[in-house]
Amino acid sequence: MSAISLQRGSNCVVGQFRAMASPCEILLEQQDQALCSKLTQLAAQEAQRIEQKYSRYRSDSVLSQLNCHTGQWQHLDPETAALLQFANTCYILSAGLFDISSGILRRAWQFDGSDNIASQQQLDALLPFIGWHRVRLDANQLFLPAGMELDLGGIAKEYAVDKVLQLLSSQFAPDAAPSIVVNFGGDMACNRPRADGSLWRIGIEHPSLADQAITAVGLSQGALATSGDSRRFLLKDGIRYSHILNPKTGWPVSKAPRSVTVAAPNCLLAGLLATTALLQGEDAEAFLQAQQLQYWLVD
Amino acid sequence: MQLKQLANISAALAAASCAVLGQQAQAGTLLDDWQFNSAILLYNETDRVSAGEGVFTARGDFGDDKYLNLGLVVDALTGASATGAVAQPYVQSFTRPSGRGSYDVAPGDTPLDDTFHDTRVQLDASWEQPLAPNWRVSGGGHVSKEYDYLSLGLNGSLARDFNQKNTTVSLGLAFSHDTISPEGGIASAFAPMLLRSDFADDASYQAAFAATRDRADDTKDTLDLLLGLTQVINRDWLMQFNYSLSVADGYMTDPFKLVSVVNSNGEVQQNLYESRPDKRTKHSLYWQNKLHLSGTFLDASYRYMWDDWELNSHTADVKWRLPLGERWYVEPQLRYYQQSAAEFYLPFILQTEPLPQFASADYRIGKMTAYTLGAKFGTRLAAGNELSFRIALYQQKPENDGVAAPGILADMQLYEKVTAVMAQVSYSF
Repeated sequence: MSAISLQRGSNCVVGQFRAMASPCEILLEQQDQALCSKLTQLAAQEAQRIEQKYSRYRSDSVLSQLNCHTGQWQHLDPETAALLQFANTCYILSAGLFDISSGILRRAWQFDGSDNIASQQQLDALLPFIGWHRVRLDANQLFLPAGMELDLGGIAKEYAVDKVLQLLSSQFAPDAAPSIVVNFGGDMACNRPRADGSLWRIGIEHPSLADQAITAVGLSQGALATSGDSRRFLLKDGIRYSHILNPKTGWPVSKAPRSVTVAAPNCLLAGLLATTALLQGEDAEAFLQAQQLQYWLVD
Repeated sequence: MQLKQLANISAALAAASCAVLGQQAQAGTLLDDWQFNSAILLYNETDRVSAGEGVFTARGDFGDDKYLNLGLVVDALTGASATGAVAQPYVQSFTRPSGRGSYDVAPGDTPLDDTFHDTRVQLDASWEQPLAPNWRVSGGGHVSKEYDYLSLGLNGSLARDFNQKNTTVSLGLAFSHDTISPEGGIASAFAPMLLRSDFADDASYQAAFAATRDRADDTKDTLDLLLGLTQVINRDWLMQFNYSLSVADGYMTDPFKLVSVVNSNGEVQQNLYESRPDKRTKHSLYWQNKLHLSGTFLDASYRYMWDDWELNSHTADVKWRLPLGERWYVEPQLRYYQQSAAEFYLPFILQTEPLPQFASADYRIGKMTAYTLGAKFGTRLAAGNELSFRIALYQQKPENDGVAAPGILADMQLYEKVTAVMAQVSYSF
């Protein structure tokens, strides 16, 4: 069980814990520490459940088991099947740019700020094992070709935010839930406006001025998710290689914004759109405009 | 292919995400937001002008970094202001600028016109939005109306971010057209202030008064240009440089100000309406630093202004915001201002000297120093609202710019200090 702590804010109570390699917090509008403690416990349990199920770092996770048993049809539980169906929809709608089978590119690219860029030879060796179109998925089973690997890093945290908010809201009678914000390392969702009508003020981090919020946005309902990380890059011969990799070529996407934040009804959608925007490279802003949702972009 | 990539996929993805989460599709995220700021300022000069001002501003967030800013300012001024005439060791009579009525000034007192009262209403609106990646544009206008003054203006600005938004270069342009129509009309340059008591009857006084006036109103056009550079030095330090140019053309004389003509013994022979040039070009350089110093915020700025009236000024301003407990902050402020006199500033005109082309005895364009010493106390209330109180002492200290006061003027206070107290309450919600 992860340790949780409570803190009293000026107009809310905050419960904190760590999960999914991020600081996580539950913000409750009521000044009710006992309720906040109970909700934070539930949130931490749910976050831990999802992390254990979909972490690629745990050999006993459902995801690791799927990656271990390639070359055969494998049965899927309903939750995993739904997530993979969603990944399938994302792959199709993004024209192949969002691909949960592209994680093995990590073997060629380590974004540690060094100048160790991958060689075309390394990438050529990996590309045959990337491509969601090679994977077969039906209602409750998956066939993952040998040598391929799935990684839900692009959606698991956002999914956890939505699931946790759902779980916390379900603790109350319909329409009786207080306003709650679930914030996992900057990806966040809110169930309903605050009773006093004010907004939750959320700062979006400026990648080059860590900790300095570039803009404080007011959130009353719905979700925000951010993609991009200015601390993960390679620099060689004056060229900056972002950690956003094109799954079709294996090369970093050029001219992508440093970070994109999207507001959407749920965190899963917000995160997916933010990531897909980065994958558009210099067309990120045009893509975001086409989505007709609010966004913030840092070049 | 390109078209397909940039298609709106959010609706289809929204449906897919709701399927995963087992939710009904939800209404869109509500982010539209208005921020309001209101303030009341009271300004009181000892024995002179009192002013009350109410400010209400609203900033609407229309998404995509588009904002509408609206402002309303209402202020009321009342009290007495220095006419520019010199004090005398005997009672002096003055005609009100409108020509109707007169008032007396006690021996040794700086002549003040005590009928100074006005109400001003100003409306501002501007719209700002991104133009292209890294470019922002804004445009707006203002209308300001007083009893005898109307100002109409348009402004626009363009800003470009460089260097991951750490550097911003901006260009601003503003134009305003002002019309002044003082009661009783505009006096011709150096027209004498007439006294009813010097005339046999009303008709002859009115005829003579009308002869000193040559038009009912006049206008002034002002074009302002601003070049700005904002640079993030590091995460705790932001620096800004501005250069601004202001070119004004039109009536810049104060229609209520006088210049005394004195004889070699310092006795007033006549009071004339002042006259200033109708062109003015001002330049200013501004340097501001905003620093975050271990939990406190320091805002230090310096401005140098110079113009073709030979009026140069230096302004140094320091504000330091310090936390006071968990919810409050205190922000002491010290502002120091120093200006040289405009080339045509004269505390009085000697009868023996030829009349200059321009002259004004308005202490506000004479040599002076001024300082503001103040403090603001603020607190964050529930729901992110902010309440603050500010109190400040403002002192203007006019100085003699090397003019020898003849005869009786040597014993008169020609450069009287003006002390004012300001109190302000602001509430942001």
